[in-house]
Amino acid sequence: MEQLLINGLIAGSLAALIAGGLALVYGVLGIFNLALGQMVLLGGYAVWWLHQSVGLTLPVSIVGGLLMAGGLTWVTFEVFIAPFYKRHRFLPLVTTIALGMILDAAMLLFFEARPRSILSNGKNIMDIGGVRLSVEQVYLVVLTVLLLCVFAYVLHSTPFGRRIRAVVQHSHAAMSLGIRASVLHRVIFILSGVLAACGGIFIGIDQNLTPVLAFPITIKAYAAIIAGGKGNFWGAIVCAYLIALLEQLVIGIEWFGRFYIPAGYQQSVALLFIIVFLLCRPSGLFSFKNRTA
Amino acid sequence: MSFLLHLITVTCILLPTIVGYNLVFGKGKIFHFGQIGLQILAAYPLWISIVLFDQYPIMGLLLGLISAFVAAWLLAWLSFRLDPDGLGVMSIAVHLSALNVVLNWQSVTRGALGVPGIPRWSFLADNVSFAIFVIVAVSVWCVFVWLLDRSAFGRKLQALSEHDWYAEALGISRKNVHIVAFLVAAGGALLTGVLLPQYLYLLSPTDFAFPAMIFVVMCVVAGKPGSMGGAILATALLMMLKEGLRLLPLSPGVVGPVRLLLFGLILLGAVWYRRDALFPPQREI
Repeated sequence: MEQLLINGLIAGSLAALIAGGLALVYGVLGIFNLALGQMVLLGGYAVWWLHQSVGLTLPVSIVGGLLMAGGLTWVTFEVFIAPFYKRHRFLPLVTTIALGMILDAAMLLFFEARPRSILSNGKNIMDIGGVRLSVEQVYLVVLTVLLLCVFAYVLHSTPFGRRIRAVVQHSHAAMSLGIRASVLHRVIFILSGVLAACGGIFIGIDQNLTPVLAFPITIKAYAAIIAGGKGNFWGAIVCAYLIALLEQLVIGIEWFGRFYIPAGYQQSVALLFIIVFLLCRPSGLFSFKNRTA
Repeated sequence: MSFLLHLITVTCILLPTIVGYNLVFGKGKIFHFGQIGLQILAAYPLWISIVLFDQYPIMGLLLGLISAFVAAWLLAWLSFRLDPDGLGVMSIAVHLSALNVVLNWQSVTRGALGVPGIPRWSFLADNVSFAIFVIVAVSVWCVFVWLLDRSAFGRKLQALSEHDWYAEALGISRKNVHIVAFLVAAGGALLTGVLLPQYLYLLSPTDFAFPAMIFVVMCVVAGKPGSMGGAILATALLMMLKEGLRLLPLSPGVVGPVRLLLFGLILLGAVWYRRDALFPPQREI
């Protein structure tokens, strides 16, 4: 059981990184980005390429990968989002499907379908009270928590964070107070892309990168933001951990002492989350009401 | 010649589901991405009961029909209850859940291997007679949907897509119209689910993966949403491109990504070109 909880914590940290950025984007722009999984993987692949092919050190490769991811996200916004979302906020749902196909093709052409790991040497596995985990996993979980804490500080304790929250609550009211909402839209979208790339680096270090991972990542992130209350940053993060934990428990527990659920059903947990929450509580677990005068 | 026959047959087989979907997504502007999910729910009960459980074809057909219609009715019900984007995500989730069950319930569905040995009627044994049968059956279906589209039902669906409150104020029942549109889409999914496995002699889960849904969306968007003729033309052209890429002197590892890249660019271009048809601005006096 302890092993399952630790596995849930590790998988949840990855999902929280990705879902957090997505929740902000939904909160501000009200759009769904169905190419999120591909953007996650491209961040990981960029670091893999810089580290394994170009031969840069890991920290430099990570910085380079994040810069590339930021640039790609900005181009994505200008080409696939900005020309469409003001016309109708549902159009990007279809354009990001197109983006997902293009990024999938790019990954298959440049990095091929075989698994790629950012670290070439084996992992340092520790055994703590019967729970097995690697030193890299500990670093990743701690770094994720630190990153989220920094994000919390920026969001809630700085003028920049106040501006973001103002735009999330009401774009037009924020603009009338002198906040440049269109710039913040871009900043938030790029920020979500960088957080997604962090998730991709996490996957590349902890597991292997393959293009087939993209869609399950997207689905899990959407399950988290739907269950957490669309646009609610902290709700999405809590639900990301919850979904990851449930995924581990569903396939790891011997049900009624008689049988195990096949591992193939693990992805169904996120799908069930989406279905159950949209049916029973469409506003999510942590929905908030817009302030009114 | 055999390639041309294959192209015509495959295009015609896909038309019922695309034409049905065009009614829901193209004309009705209902954000439904579960058309291939409906196809799974139609095809699997039908062919599993016939091939693996030795039931009569009529019994299998009845099972497929009931299964697809119940799922379509549920999706229609959800379309009244959820926001459009919520319905979009929900319908994707329903599709992927059905696919997940198909892939993992191996004792019944044979998982990723699919169900081989799908029978054809004896008079359709050769590909020419099968193609003729498909063309006739699909033409009948398309005429039915065209008549429906031109009828009062089509006008009601269009009115609801433009402004549902105003339409309801004029006495149009959103529930009834949406349910009929979804049932027609399910009928199309059933027809494709009957014909495609027969043509391939195989019921394969790879034919029901999410890229198949993207292809359906692309055909509707590229052909002008709501236009039946446009959807048919776009399906023919896109299918020609899809199958024609096999003839290029490219390695199999490159053909797939090149196809994805091309289709992604086409979808983006189609949405950009059709952005006003996909979500038209409100008419003003």
